[in-house]
Amino acid sequence: MLSMKNISKVYQTEKVQTHALRDFNLNVDEGEFIAVTGPSGSGKTTFLNIAGMLEPFTGGDFMLDDVNVGTLSDNQRADLRNQKIGFIFQGFNLIPDLNLYENIEVPLRYRGIKSAERKRRIEECLEKVGLASRAKHLPQQLSGGQQQRVAIARALAGKPRFLLADEPTGNLDSLMARQVMELLEEINREGSTIIMVTHDSELARRAPRNIQVVDGQLADFTLYQNKAMDEIAAKAGQPAIEA
Amino acid sequence: MFLHYIDLSWRSMKRTPLVSMLMILAIAVGIGITMTSLSVYHMMSMDPIPHKSDKLFSVQLNTTDDGNNWWTEDDVPLQLTYKDAMALHNADTPERKTASVRALFTVQMDDKEVKPFLASTRVTGRDFFPIFDLEFVYGDAWTSEQEASATPVVVLDEETNDRLFAGENSVGKQVYLDDTAFRIVGVIKQWRIHTKYYDLNNGAFNSPESIFMPITLIAPLEIQNMGNTNGWKYEEINTFQERLQSEMFWLQFWVELNTPEELKNYSDYLQAYLSEQGTKGRFERKTPQFNLKDVNEWMQYNKVVSADNKVLVGLSFLFLAVCLANILGLLLGKFLRRAPEVGVRRALGASKRQIFIQHLVEVSMLGLLGGVIGIAIAQLGLWGVRFTSNEYASLATMDIKMLLAAPAIAISACILAGIYPAWLVCRTQPAIYLKTQ
Repeated sequence: MLSMKNISKVYQTEKVQTHALRDFNLNVDEGEFIAVTGPSGSGKTTFLNIAGMLEPFTGGDFMLDDVNVGTLSDNQRADLRNQKIGFIFQGFNLIPDLNLYENIEVPLRYRGIKSAERKRRIEECLEKVGLASRAKHLPQQLSGGQQQRVAIARALAGKPRFLLADEPTGNLDSLMARQVMELLEEINREGSTIIMVTHDSELARRAPRNIQVVDGQLADFTLYQNKAMDEIAAKAGQPAIEA
Repeated sequence: MFLHYIDLSWRSMKRTPLVSMLMILAIAVGIGITMTSLSVYHMMSMDPIPHKSDKLFSVQLNTTDDGNNWWTEDDVPLQLTYKDAMALHNADTPERKTASVRALFTVQMDDKEVKPFLASTRVTGRDFFPIFDLEFVYGDAWTSEQEASATPVVVLDEETNDRLFAGENSVGKQVYLDDTAFRIVGVIKQWRIHTKYYDLNNGAFNSPESIFMPITLIAPLEIQNMGNTNGWKYEEINTFQERLQSEMFWLQFWVELNTPEELKNYSDYLQAYLSEQGTKGRFERKTPQFNLKDVNEWMQYNKVVSADNKVLVGLSFLFLAVCLANILGLLLGKFLRRAPEVGVRRALGASKRQIFIQHLVEVSMLGLLGGVIGIAIAQLGLWGVRFTSNEYASLATMDIKMLLAAPAIAISACILAGIYPAWLVCRTQPAIYLKTQ
C-alpha cells in the first residue's frame, strides 16, 4: 500500500548539507495504525511530509498504491494527495475565514465533487466528530479540541486511504487529547490507515504498531545493516518498539 | 470553481479592507487618468465615416513651380485654386465629386421676432450630401439645374430649422443670408461628426456648417471664404474676378471613388488635367503632382492627432505603470502573508494552477472595481477638459468602446501586476508552513 525504499532527504544550504532522512525503509499495509516517535529533529515530520507528498525526497523509491511517486509532476502529486491522503496537523490549520462547513468543503472542492455530494459528506463527517450543530461557526469560536475534530472531519471527508497526523494532540490538554485519540482509533477500526507522529509515549503505546525515527533512520535499522539491501527492504517497516 | 474563487476573493478583500481599498484606489486613479487622455485620443483618431472612409478622397493638385516649398510633408498645397476646383467640379466624369468652401452669412427673416445671427455656411455642390451621407428630414438637395443657374437656394440643418421655423417643414420658405433672399429646398438631419474631416482649415474639431448653398453662387454673390487662403507667387488682385482667376488656394475638393478601377481612372484624369494646365504656362513643373488621400490618410496627413496628444497618452500609461508598481508591492505583501493558508490548501489537494488562478481572480476583481471607479474619475477628468479652451474640448467624452475598455484595461493591468505575486505564492512549499502555523 505504502512502500518506501532507501528514501533520503537532504537539505542543502550554501555550506551545509543536512541529512533529514537516510536509507529510510518502510512498508505500511492497509488498515494499520502506526505511531511514529522519536526525538525532536530526528526526521519524523520530514518522513510524514514525504509520505504526504508535501515535499520531494532526494533519493530512493516511494510507491503509493502501486504509483511511483518519484515520477509524478507537482500537479499529479497534488491530485494524488487530494484523492488518497488526509492530513491532521498539530496546529489544526483550519482556514480562519471559513466556517466549519466551508473548511471541510475545501478538499472536496479541489476534487471537483458536486455540491449535493459535498453536502452529504460534510454533514456525515460533522456528525461523526460530534459538531453537526456547529457547522456555521468559525474556527475561532471553538475550543482547541473541537478545532482538531473539525480538522479530522476535513481529513475524513475526502474518504482518504491514509490519514497522516502530525502531533494531532500536541496542542490539546490531556482530556481533549484522549478524546481525539479515541476518535482516531474509531476511524482506524472502520478501516482507515493512520500514520501518526507523536511525542506522547502514552498515546504511541495505544497504536498497534510503533516505529521510532532516530537521526533520519528507523531506530532498528542497525539490526539489519549487515544484510543485503533486498533483505533490508523486506525487513523495513518492522516495528522498533512493540506496544 | 470560478464562482468559488470570486467568493474567496471577496472574503480576502474584506479581511484586509484598507490594503484592498488602497489597491482599488491606485488602479482607479491610474485608470481614470489613462482613460481621460485615451478617450480624447480615441475620439480624435476615430474614423469619422467608417463605412466609406476608404472611398472618399481629398484631391490635392500641385499647381506651383518646381522647387516651391509648402508646409506639407510632400510640398503639395492642401487646397485648390477656384479655377481648378470648378474645373474638376464641372468635369464630365461619372464620379460623385464636389468642390466646397466655408463662408459666413448673417441670417435674417422677415419675422422681426427672429434676431439676425451669424451662420457658418458651406458653399458646395449638390453631390456633397450623398458623398458625406447627409440625410434629409424635409425636401432634398438643390437640383442640377438650380446649381448650374446659380439659383439662390439653401439647405438648412435641423437645428437652424428649429431655430427659424420651430422644426416645421420649411421647404419653399424664404430666408435672408446677408441681403439676399434664399429659398429653402431641404432640411438635413443634424450632422454630428467628431472630426470635421472634410475641411480641416479652421480647426479639426469644429462643428459642421449649418447652412448649405450652391457653389456656383460664389461668383455672382462674390462670396468670401472663411478659411485659409494661400498664395505662392505675387499676383495683382484688385477685383473679385481677379481673385477667382488667381493662383491662390482656398477651396477643398472631395471625390467618391468606389472601386480601384474608379480610383485609377480618376488618377489618370487628374494626371491629364495637370499636364494640360502645365502646358498653359500656369506653373513650371516637370512631373505633374497630385494626391488622392482617403479620409484616414487625409487626417494623418493633416496631423489631426498631434504628437502632443500621443505623448500625453504615453505619459498617462506611464502613470498607470507607476500605480501598477505600487499595486504589485501591495499584492506581494498581501499574498505572501497568506502563504500559510496556501500551504494548507496545497496540502488539501490544490494544485499550483488552482492557487495561481485563485489569486488572479482576486486581482481581476480588484481591477474590475478599480476600473469602475476609474470610469467615474475619467468622467471627472473629461468634464474638466470640456471646460478648457482646447480645440478638442468638445471631444472630451467617453463612448461605449472606451466605457468597456476601461474595466478591460484595469483588469488586464491588474493581472499583469498580479502575475508575479500569484506565481510566487503558488510555488509555496506547503510543508514549510504546516508545522509553523
